This record gives sequence, C-alpha cells and structure tokens, in this order.
Amino acid sequence: MPTVHPFPGPRPGPGPRATADISVGFAAWAVNQGSNPTMKIDAGAAAHQAIELDDLDKGIVEILRSNGRATNQEIAEKLSVSAATISSRLRRLEESNAIRVVAVADFAAHGYHMLIAVGVKVFGRDAAAVARDLAKLPEVFSVHLMQGPFDLELLVGLKEFAEINVFLTDHVARIPGVSDLSAGIAADIVKFEFNVAPL
Amino acid sequence: MSEPQLDELDQRIIEQLARNARVSNRQIAGSLGVTEGTIRTRIKDLQEQRLIQFTVVTDLRLAGSPNLVMLGVHAEPARVPALAQELARIPEIGAVVVLLGRYNLLATGLFTSLVEVHQLIRNRILPLRGVRSVETSVSVQNFKYNFGMARITPEVRPRSRSKAEAVPPAPRAKASGTKGRAAR
Repeated sequence: MPTVHPFPGPRPGPGPRATADISVGFAAWAVNQGSNPTMKIDAGAAAHQAIELDDLDKGIVEILRSNGRATNQEIAEKLSVSAATISSRLRRLEESNAIRVVAVADFAAHGYHMLIAVGVKVFGRDAAAVARDLAKLPEVFSVHLMQGPFDLELLVGLKEFAEINVFLTDHVARIPGVSDLSAGIAADIVKFEFNVAPL
Repeated sequence: MSEPQLDELDQRIIEQLARNARVSNRQIAGSLGVTEGTIRTRIKDLQEQRLIQFTVVTDLRLAGSPNLVMLGVHAEPARVPALAQELARIPEIGAVVVLLGRYNLLATGLFTSLVEVHQLIRNRILPLRGVRSVETSVSVQNFKYNFGMARITPEVRPRSRSKAEAVPPAPRAKASGTKGRAAR
C-alpha cells in the first residue's frame, strides 16, 4: 500500500521509502525513470503538485520560446547534450503537463475579428455549474470564476458585430442562473502575453 | 484589424500545428498531399503576417500557481491610448485591452499575492495621469482557457528575422498601426 503523505508537503527524497509505490501519491516529476507504469495515474494530485525544472529543462524551454520549431538536434547542440536527451526531456515535460510546445494562432486566423469581455452575475444556481455551461460555447475563449463584482468573467471571440446580440441573448442569457450580463468590446489589444496558461 | 485571407490549406496547416507544433514540414505535407516546399512557404507567410507563432506555453504551476487578476480601469477618455501604452510597459501586467463599455481599459496579470496587487494599483496605476479608479476582480478557478489562440502583438517578443536590426528595447510609444514596419 502506498504511504499517504500530507498534501502539499514536500516530495520525499529517494530514501528507503522511495520505492515504486511512492509515485502513486505524487507527481510523475523526477520519480519517473521510465520504468514505472503507475506514474501517470494520479493526474488529480499531479495537477496540484508543484513542479520544478532543472537548468537543462529551463534551457530547453528558453530555446523553444523563441523558436518552437527548433529541432531536437539544434537544441541539443546549443546545450551540449544529445538529441536523445532533449527528446526524453521534452516528452517528460509535456507528459507532466508542465509545458506545451504550440503554434499559437492569432484570433484573426480563426476569423475572430471581435473580442468581447463579458461579466456574468449568477443567481439561484451554483456559479461553477453556470461556468461549465458557458465553457461549452465554442466562441468562449476563457471562463473564470471570480471574486469580484461579477461571478464569472468570459473572453469571447466573435466573427462580426451582428453576432454579439445572438451570442449574448440567444446563447448566454438562456443558460439557467445567468442573472446579469455586462459586455465590453475590445477596441484595441495593446498587449497580450500568452506564454503562461493553465495546461 | 486587418482582414487576413486564409484559404483552406492555411487553416488545415494551422490546425495540425495547433495540435503539435513540432510536427515536421514533411509530415504535414504528406498528410495534406502537398509538397514540403508549399508547407514551408505557407508557414513562413503565416508567421510574417503574425497569424501564428511557435512558442512554449508553460503551466501556471511553474509560475507558482498564481491567480489571474483583472483590473478594470476607469480613465479620462482622452488619456486612454497613452494609458494603454503605460500599462503595457508594466511587466507584471500581461494583457492590456482598450475596452468600450464596462470600463476604459482592461488589464490582467498573474499574481501570487494580493499585497502585490494592491501595491501595483496603489503605487503604479492610480498615480498615472488620467486614471480615475480601478476595479479589481480575482479569478479563483479557471474553467476554460484556449491557449492555442491569442492576439499576437509585436510587443510579445522581437521577431527573429528582425533581430539583426537590434531595436533597443527602450520604451517607445507604439501606435497600433505600426505593423507594416517590420520586414514586409
């Protein structure tokens, strides 16, 4: 039986108890040497687990930040390690949901020429349930449960002005529990950093 | 916003790269039945038009599991464009949007401490000329976030091809319409 450790305590070091069992309750991070099939089962706990990158990981991330299409070979040469090392590091980083190497597409590439920020007040229903319903709408880019003047905040991409009314009235307003809406139209997006996100 | 002309091939390339940015040109070419050269050209064009950018998105946990904080800034209308630039220069602020309705500017950032948020507002935002008030709202849970989509602004990071020009990173008031300045 795996030993239960208080969460979120520090991950035990490789002491006498650090057998394969220990990985059950802890993130796959560092423990995973590729031989333990139980590593990925605890996604729930892993999602809350602090993860740490070592210098090599950080070096890889830095190179990929400026060019996500750099080959393993190119990265390997810059960091003086083998391409196989890069490959396994990247796999581990991605499998632990620490990073994603992605093509970020501009809203315009998806035909979204309008961005609106919508505050939603909820009455008579759990705000989280309303959030889950809102998250199903394809136009909705992000949904956050807030502590603030509105219970929920959405960022929504729309193709044209006429869609605002359809979206707010026909889609959002009909969701049970939605009691108030406040929408603002993005006139200019001056800064938009996207390198840190919930993965 | 400019009206980019994306055909179906562009869309399908973007689709594949959104799933895995490290797929090779050859693999994309094979799956779409076009040549590797076509893929290379298309990707280059998409990058030059700032429609896609290849990068790493790191999980919030690596940043210490911060909370997203949304700041609604009420300001004198005439000062809004300048304030947008001033807010954008604050490193802790990750996004700045000029908003019509609700408030004049929406700024967001990731913070691990409410004291930090308070100090930012008190010491660096409220003193800016033209700012009337700031509404604060803190995210306690995220239900959806599409990390494959964003606004690719010139400020995000100098583009590799213009590196040779070595533009000093000094603060410069950049109007929204300076897109054509980069190699075109």
